[in-house]
Amino acid sequence: MSKRSTTTTTTIGTGKRIRGGGDDEYEPTVDDEVMDDEVDYDEAAMEANMAAMAENGEASVDSTVKQRWGRPDVKPFDPNKEDINVQWLDMDMVSGPPLTANPKKGATVLGSSVGPVPVIRVFGCSDKGHSASIFIHGFTPYALFAAPKEFENTSSNLERLREYIDERLRNQVRDARNYKVFCHGVKFLDDRKSVMGYSTTHTQFFQVYCSMPSMVPPLKRIFSEGVKLPGMVETVSCQPFESNVPFVLRFMIDQEISGAGWLSLPAGAYSVRKESEKKTHCQLELDISYKEIISRESVGEWSKIAPLRVLSFDIECQGRKGYFPEAEKDPVIQIANCVSVYGTPDPVVKNVFTLKGCLPIVGTQVITSETEQELLLKWQQFLQAADVDIITGYNVQNFDIPYLLDRAEALSKVRPGPNMSPFKLWGRIKGSPAKMKDTTFQSAAFGKRNNVETTIEGRVVFDMLPYMQRNHKLSSYTLNSVCAEFLGQQKEDVHHSIISDLQNGNDEDRHRLAVYCVKDALLPQRLMDKLSVLINYVEMARVTGVPVSFLISRGQQIKVFSMILRKCRNEKLCVPDLPKGRNADGVAYEGATVLDPIKKYYEVPIATLDFASLYPSIMQAYNLCYTTLASPQDLANLSPEDYNKNPNGTFVKASKKKGILPTILSELLSARKQAKKDMKNAPNEFEKAVQNGRQLALKVSANSVYGFTGAAVGQLPCMAIASTVTNYGRQLLEKTKACVEETYTKANGYEFDSQVVYGDTDSVMVKFGNPMGPRVFELSEEAAEKCSKLFPHPILLEFEKVYYPYLLMNKKRYAGLLWTNVEKFDYMDCKGLETVRRDNCQLVRDVIQTSLNKILIDRDTKSAISYVKKQISDLLQNKMDISRLVITKSLNKGAEWALGLGGKAEDYKIKQAHVELAARMKKRDAGSAPQMGDRVPYVIIQGPKGAQTYTKAEDPIYVLDNNVPIDCQWYLSNQLTKPLTRIFEPVVNDVEKDLLKGDHTRKIFIATPTARKGSLMSFAVKKATCMGCKALIPKDSGNLCEHCVCKENEIYLDKLKNLRVAEEEYSQLWSAAQRIHGQMFQDVMCTGDGCACQFYRRKKVQQDIKRCQTALDMFAQ
Amino acid sequence: MFEARLTNGSILKKLLEALKDLVTDANIDCSEEGLSIQAMDSSHVSLCAVALRSDGFDHFRCDRNISLGFNSQNLGKILKCADNTDMITLKAEDSADNLTLMFESKNQDRISDFELKLMDIDADHLGIPDTEYKTTIRMPSNEFKRIITDLQVLGDTCTIAVTKEGVRFSVTGDLGTGNVLVRSTNGVDKEEEEAVVIDMEEPVELTFALRYLNFFTKATNLGPSVVISMSPDVPVVVEYPIEQIGHIKYYLAPKIDDAEE
Repeated sequence: MSKRSTTTTTTIGTGKRIRGGGDDEYEPTVDDEVMDDEVDYDEAAMEANMAAMAENGEASVDSTVKQRWGRPDVKPFDPNKEDINVQWLDMDMVSGPPLTANPKKGATVLGSSVGPVPVIRVFGCSDKGHSASIFIHGFTPYALFAAPKEFENTSSNLERLREYIDERLRNQVRDARNYKVFCHGVKFLDDRKSVMGYSTTHTQFFQVYCSMPSMVPPLKRIFSEGVKLPGMVETVSCQPFESNVPFVLRFMIDQEISGAGWLSLPAGAYSVRKESEKKTHCQLELDISYKEIISRESVGEWSKIAPLRVLSFDIECQGRKGYFPEAEKDPVIQIANCVSVYGTPDPVVKNVFTLKGCLPIVGTQVITSETEQELLLKWQQFLQAADVDIITGYNVQNFDIPYLLDRAEALSKVRPGPNMSPFKLWGRIKGSPAKMKDTTFQSAAFGKRNNVETTIEGRVVFDMLPYMQRNHKLSSYTLNSVCAEFLGQQKEDVHHSIISDLQNGNDEDRHRLAVYCVKDALLPQRLMDKLSVLINYVEMARVTGVPVSFLISRGQQIKVFSMILRKCRNEKLCVPDLPKGRNADGVAYEGATVLDPIKKYYEVPIATLDFASLYPSIMQAYNLCYTTLASPQDLANLSPEDYNKNPNGTFVKASKKKGILPTILSELLSARKQAKKDMKNAPNEFEKAVQNGRQLALKVSANSVYGFTGAAVGQLPCMAIASTVTNYGRQLLEKTKACVEETYTKANGYEFDSQVVYGDTDSVMVKFGNPMGPRVFELSEEAAEKCSKLFPHPILLEFEKVYYPYLLMNKKRYAGLLWTNVEKFDYMDCKGLETVRRDNCQLVRDVIQTSLNKILIDRDTKSAISYVKKQISDLLQNKMDISRLVITKSLNKGAEWALGLGGKAEDYKIKQAHVELAARMKKRDAGSAPQMGDRVPYVIIQGPKGAQTYTKAEDPIYVLDNNVPIDCQWYLSNQLTKPLTRIFEPVVNDVEKDLLKGDHTRKIFIATPTARKGSLMSFAVKKATCMGCKALIPKDSGNLCEHCVCKENEIYLDKLKNLRVAEEEYSQLWSAAQRIHGQMFQDVMCTGDGCACQFYRRKKVQQDIKRCQTALDMFAQ
Repeated sequence: MFEARLTNGSILKKLLEALKDLVTDANIDCSEEGLSIQAMDSSHVSLCAVALRSDGFDHFRCDRNISLGFNSQNLGKILKCADNTDMITLKAEDSADNLTLMFESKNQDRISDFELKLMDIDADHLGIPDTEYKTTIRMPSNEFKRIITDLQVLGDTCTIAVTKEGVRFSVTGDLGTGNVLVRSTNGVDKEEEEAVVIDMEEPVELTFALRYLNFFTKATNLGPSVVISMSPDVPVVVEYPIEQIGHIKYYLAPKIDDAEE
């Protein structure tokens, strides 16, 4: 942790920025030096920054232009008569002096009167669209500790304890000289209980108040090491409670403020800072005491969303050939921006800042600059003028933002030149620059990622790339392919090496570049709208009660933790702060069960019975909770009717004591029902999207409760709950199977004996035996109802769909047509098949998908077989387009070692094709080589006998350029064989014989690679062969052997046909590419592998044409 | 109509052994002059060329030039069925997609015939033009094989240096280094088959991938001696003459020190 400056000059708003106040889920180092990692800025530097900005006349933008970018003006109002409503987005804490007077007349000042005290800073947007910062005063941090039974609760004892703690804190806190008082008071609570266990030993607590949130960890340490309590002889160690709650969250919970909710400042209770006193760039700057602020529950009128301003931007840099742009060397040449306001369909500002001239762009403001410095400074002014709440873009977090900041740093060293320090002022706090920090985010769900975290005070950075990676499983995450997937829109994927040429061209070339750049800025914003990202996050924050920033930068646990804390507060319960890793040795428990599949191709309908929200409903039905977990001693005092016994833990029934987790869950689920109802009745699209986001958030939150209890290194793990949940899950599944198979038999008067063919976690697949028709649906409905009756409320077995026909290949691998009504099937559903898995090439996905279509939909096995044969023979004859053979894999943990970027050798034991390739590409050209975290596309090329596959991986572009022969046989045996065997096994007798071998594999093509320096090819010469029969013919004797000459016409026409076919295909691909990129008169520069314009394919066909043409030219000789 | 009979059928068996590790699919080109196979190995690093003159066969007939595509693995399976002493006859119609192989035992008490389905291989026909080489080494093929096998223990690349002293094969690897010097047996009284003859115009030193040299030594059984021809900066030729009928030649490009990938 850095400690660069020790002088702390603290005034309101410019003090240390402190986020949270307690343990952080992913950063185990927090305990001690928690919050000191931020640098303090002394005022002189800030003043200098501001002065420099004012001086900077040359790069300043016209004020009328600025107005157009900005927010609506604030009309004068009377703070004593008008309420202010703000939807908040970002909340943090700074230290500052206490208030001298409460803004509310006549009210007392709350909290400590000796500074510094924590001041909570809230940024948001008012319902009128004005930016607002609210400074909330008087909230004092605290932590709870279990008090021993022997402690005598008298005020003198508590005061003595306070003095004792104060003294101990003084010695523990690092910057002790800044404070006069450390511990502000100790309260004795005896109306609370610990959340752990049915009966608990912890029933009385000390609530200890301290000056700063940073004192909570030392406080915790003091109490766990042992304290000498007044009136007691021995030192005792006290269990800490809720000391790991971040300060901001603590405040939100105690004031019942939900994430991204509305806050109302009643008239007369707040004060508005004058323009001259302002410390921020916000239009409204308000002070209020924490008790006065009103938090609005997000229902009814208050479920609305403020007109939040969102900036989406993209930069272009001029890289050098062969190198990835580096901020130290390569200039930023364009920045495109798009500002939109929530609730307004079109962007309100669309502009592009360019270096050097650029032709006008329709609908976009073009701002040109002569120097890069000017460009950057103008953009900074734009950013401040636009005053956005949210900054988004595609990979802005790890590329654009750090690049701009690093670039400004590099430029500030260029002398003479303008002062670049104002450029970094992106935030809402005057004179405080944006700060970068490298972070590592590790989570079981998303893997390890290295990130740059940039703090821009008052604005939320929300990058669309990680969002897509987190929420959608795709084979490629380039902006291009993501947009193709969700928006049906393409953009040209211009390789960064071309950018430089365009920039060095004329105004028109730069215009072209600017058009791309603007599009790149627009797309993330559209994506955000289309996927309702903003709404979903706001709703998730509201449902779980955490700030939006937690959702972006932290994992799943904090959400559940927040819900539990809120509930506990109402129930007068306290959550213990358990030492981390108590269960780290991994008490593995049995997971979900899978009923063994009866592998077959079913040509009768298979009904699927699903448990609705299985785990949440189990927790409700059996009242599983921390508070209901009964110990053996408890059982002695309870009658057997009061609890449910389970091998993994015994839980008290709800009739005796209702647990908080079941309460949370039933609230979440009933809220979801309400949201779904509201969604149906929503008057407009925006309202509908909000309610949809809400119900999704509720569903996800309900499902994550189970995971929270099972996370071994979590905030509050409880394996007894988690393992009991899965145990009941298994029981339910088996009960259902038994019930169905016993009931639906011929003996009971049904037409057929039923059979459960497969079951997984929360669903069972039943074969009733009846042919497709209404009867199947009737039976299924009936079965679902019958089984549901066996289970306690609210566990519900639902019938939703029928598979017919159904191809069951293995556990978690099946395909079938899905029917929800008798008339028509809905779609084909495939699970665990190569169609959806990403580590396969397109060819496999296509072949499997088409075969399944033919088998399941057309019911034509023969045509499926002939289709597969055709594909195999095309593959062997090299007629396959290379893009269908490309496999992509991402460079993950372990790859650092292979790429020479550090890491540990033991993380990379088995050589992987894509990693080895990346290492080779790096040697070839460090610039275009894939980086860590990138997905590497590769194809398998032919190699010497016995060569390992990893040595045979090659970059597809390199393969195309050099005509490297592809190992078709490898694709057949390693990629196609297994999946084909799997799906055809239940259908065809002998897959090996019928599909994979035979005449169709006997016609092959062997490519001749392009000669490279030193390779054998540069010495070899082509010998003349007859075009008709391939026999050797003497040199210079034409192109046909004497026996084929008579067939010359035939052969010529054949070759001509080949050329025609290739040309035809190319022109189709070309016009398709033109259509996709919407341009007729310019070259398509797209080289993206995920793009629908099929760059690889175009290149391949181009080469085919060339080959055919050469063949044809032979006839002219 | 194509028909060729070879009394010493084991030549074909040995030829296939010599080919099958390098070449998976190739064409047999038949003409009046004889049979030839020319193919690059699958990684396109080396090339092998087989020539069997028509006069080496007991009976040879080829009405028109044809090309017979085969898969070496499958052809190998069939040739396994022939005894080393069998006489082998190859037969194909002018536009057939089958190759008939007939195996006759020495005393004609067993005649078997097989049909191999042919492949349609669309590939360029490549060859290395004949050139004059600066040095030529003729040495016992077993000796060559042994050197290559020994050196492979130590490393991946082998330098062959021809000087007045003799031929030096050297290798450097993680384990250490190895050198084998083979002296010319000029003037020493030795059987022709065991002689080492160096014909040198000027000293040559080239480096090769041992993996491929090792593949070449699979042809050792075809003849007692091997002829290695080298010139600076051109591919080496490793030729195994096959008695009275032809040869198999392997070409391999030398490694360039700072070879670009």
